[in-house]
Amino acid sequence: MAMTSDPKSFNAIIAKETSTTAVTNLIFEGLTRINGVTLKVEPNLAERWEVSSDGLVWTFFLRPDVRWVDGHPFSADDVVFTFNDLIYNDNIPTSSRDAFTVDGKIFKVEKIDDLTVRFTLPVRFAPFSLGMSQEILPKHKLAQAVGEGRFNFTWGIDASPEEIVGTGPYKLKSYLPGQRIIFERNPSYWRKSEKGEQLPFISKIIYVIVQNQDTMLLKFLEGELDYCALRGADYPLLKPEEKKRNFTIYDSGPDFGNTFLVLNQNPGVNPKTGQPFVEPKKLAWFTNVEFRRAIAYAIDKDRIVKILMNDLGYPQDSAMSPSSGFFYNPKVAKYDYDLAQGRMILEKAGFRDRNGDGIIEDPKGQRIEFNLYTNSGSNERVQAAAIIRHDLEGLGMKVNFLALEFNNLVTKLVSTFDWDAAMMGLTGGIEPHFGKNVWASDGQLHMWCPLQESPHTPWEKRIDEIFNAAVQELDENKRKILYDEWQAIVARELPVIHTVLGANIYAVRNKFENLKPTSYGGAFHNLEEIRVKKEYR
Amino acid sequence: MLRYIIRRILVAIPLLFGISLLTFVLIQITPGNFFDSLKLDPQISADTISRYEKLYHLDRPLLEQYFHWLRNLLKFDFGYSFFYNCPVSQVISGRLYNTFILSLASLLLTWLVAIPLGVWAAVNRGRGIDKILSFLSFAGLSVPSFFLAIILLYFASEGKILPLGGMQSINYDGLTQTEKMVDLLRHLAIPTIVISVGSIAALQRIMRGSMLETLRQQYVLAARARGLPEHRVVYVHTLRNAINPLVTIFGYHFSDLLSGAALIEIICSWPGLGSVMLTAVRAKDLYLVMASMLMGGILLLLGNLLADILLAWVDPRIRYE
Repeated sequence: MAMTSDPKSFNAIIAKETSTTAVTNLIFEGLTRINGVTLKVEPNLAERWEVSSDGLVWTFFLRPDVRWVDGHPFSADDVVFTFNDLIYNDNIPTSSRDAFTVDGKIFKVEKIDDLTVRFTLPVRFAPFSLGMSQEILPKHKLAQAVGEGRFNFTWGIDASPEEIVGTGPYKLKSYLPGQRIIFERNPSYWRKSEKGEQLPFISKIIYVIVQNQDTMLLKFLEGELDYCALRGADYPLLKPEEKKRNFTIYDSGPDFGNTFLVLNQNPGVNPKTGQPFVEPKKLAWFTNVEFRRAIAYAIDKDRIVKILMNDLGYPQDSAMSPSSGFFYNPKVAKYDYDLAQGRMILEKAGFRDRNGDGIIEDPKGQRIEFNLYTNSGSNERVQAAAIIRHDLEGLGMKVNFLALEFNNLVTKLVSTFDWDAAMMGLTGGIEPHFGKNVWASDGQLHMWCPLQESPHTPWEKRIDEIFNAAVQELDENKRKILYDEWQAIVARELPVIHTVLGANIYAVRNKFENLKPTSYGGAFHNLEEIRVKKEYR
Repeated sequence: MLRYIIRRILVAIPLLFGISLLTFVLIQITPGNFFDSLKLDPQISADTISRYEKLYHLDRPLLEQYFHWLRNLLKFDFGYSFFYNCPVSQVISGRLYNTFILSLASLLLTWLVAIPLGVWAAVNRGRGIDKILSFLSFAGLSVPSFFLAIILLYFASEGKILPLGGMQSINYDGLTQTEKMVDLLRHLAIPTIVISVGSIAALQRIMRGSMLETLRQQYVLAARARGLPEHRVVYVHTLRNAINPLVTIFGYHFSDLLSGAALIEIICSWPGLGSVMLTAVRAKDLYLVMASMLMGGILLLLGNLLADILLAWVDPRIRYE
């Protein structure tokens, strides 16, 4: 298998980016896990759990047959340690803390007996069981490091492999920076197949670190790698080779997250200079929903998918990805490419070309000209932004496009607020509540107008209400109704104008049995159940 | 001579201090810091980000941070890498050796090939061989190295002669000592050739030019007039004088030894320092960047010193006092 960059740590609490979790996911497990196919929460280290009728007290019953890979028994102490001594430790920076904090209050975690843990929540918190897929770390290995204040730098990439102790299907055998990571099966893994066979089936896994995607493709074609994630652009190169080189390309559907165009609607004033963040004339355009709607109609999503992704992409209409299953609302307002419609909306709102220079003016006669930023790191996004700029010129707008260095753009978006329009992407998942920081009006990532003291518009107020109500609602179906409404509001009011989502595509050699690739879990989310076919063993 | 060397080393200290301060300030005044990438994750709160910043003292005033770093540096502590969550020295040491092997291989290849070729071309000036070498060196200079790398990798994959990038085969650990050596050399081939092609071409031209100029000197004429055999004239008297400008260039090459060739390392999956440093600069992994700048600075100064000493050795006319 291939990955494009080195893990940053083996410490699942400290490092969270994808190249790290690709490694830690094999070694560590949580009390629950998310089924990669159904996207439902399933028992994992906990065999079952109970919720009190008020939804505040959750009791988890742990499996009695779980051992850490070094033979030490797994118990409630480890769970309590992971929460109270690691996640809620003020000296340990971890984003896990944010997932287990509601309104600034933390959860109470207690051991009832060796195999029972009780969580008491300050308020009802619907995504709780999902969040419990949080990796549990071994107390007996780490308590000393925490006591000595060394935890933040423990289990870094310089650690020796035997020190990294988990309960997961694999254990770390060796790691050579920049070259490869070798995993061996955990012979005492607790999970058995339905027929009672010891899992996992595959005895050894090697991650080869190949930074360059083209080199990775060559290595895959040549047969050194059995798996590689593809970009849409790679598809035409690999597809004809499928039969000859004995592999299959799986298109598992749209990626998660959002990519969108956002216009700055911040009415604030820079406290240092006394200047408004956005010029008043531009603010008037950007806060006009008809203006945003016209733009939505003008973006040719199909063309972006065709040109940049070789047709392996999906137009995005809703704030949730279509891959997110249950909470995805497909019935929201859609803006299929219709330039005439966009022009008509602008015309009606008083934006037209009055002096015949090809550029439209607002009702006060001011030229529509603004700057569009995106981050320069992602080639695909820069090209998509260039296409969108071209589309907006079709509406008669003058758009100056500039790709900024990532940090520079983030600074503009979250602290200096001096931007007009930006093309951005955010990560996402299956749980809408985890996007609250974007959608709630007091959120820091509420980019079009962040950190509002009270919601500026009625629809922002309604979204705040939805998020506050839905997180307390334990009935999944009632939550869905709320989140459906939120997605409908976003599509109607267009604070962000969604563009396209790439497809998650995997190329896998035809030597595995029981492969069930999904967009959420990837090609190997059920790794422990996957077998190498007889003829390849 | 010894006094000269000591003086040079003493002068280097304030220079390095200046380099480090300048680098530090330059990185810090550009907008944002390493943890900005976390700011765009909807699931991470501002509180968590400030915890990270506090852990690495990014919330302290700029100069305080710098002197903190400098103080630790005197204890040979390079600080922590934000990206890899471990000491910078750990990140670097694992890869230093890899980069060193690759750079040394290409340094050797470059010099061992370029100098004889340059001399050969100069001696045969205007003949067929000179023209062919001329053509090859211009071609070598104009083909972008990343392109050459991809082409070579493609042929390697078609012909199955050489491995496709990386430094060791997957089964490396199970090989005998000799097999390991062969395996390493096979992996070295493509990146070494790619890195060397451009510099061989350039160096060969310089050598040829310098050689031609020296051949026109009167003492060469005098040597020939006195009936010295041609090979002595060319390889002893001319070559030794013509190589002076190249020794200076060697000093600069020396500083490249550890900075590596990031692009080639990435394309060929060579686990060296160059690619790590490139990511560090892009992600603003402050202390990793500082360490790499410092290393580059030290090697450049050392390379220049070495070149000057070598110069005195090959050319008795040069004396430092």
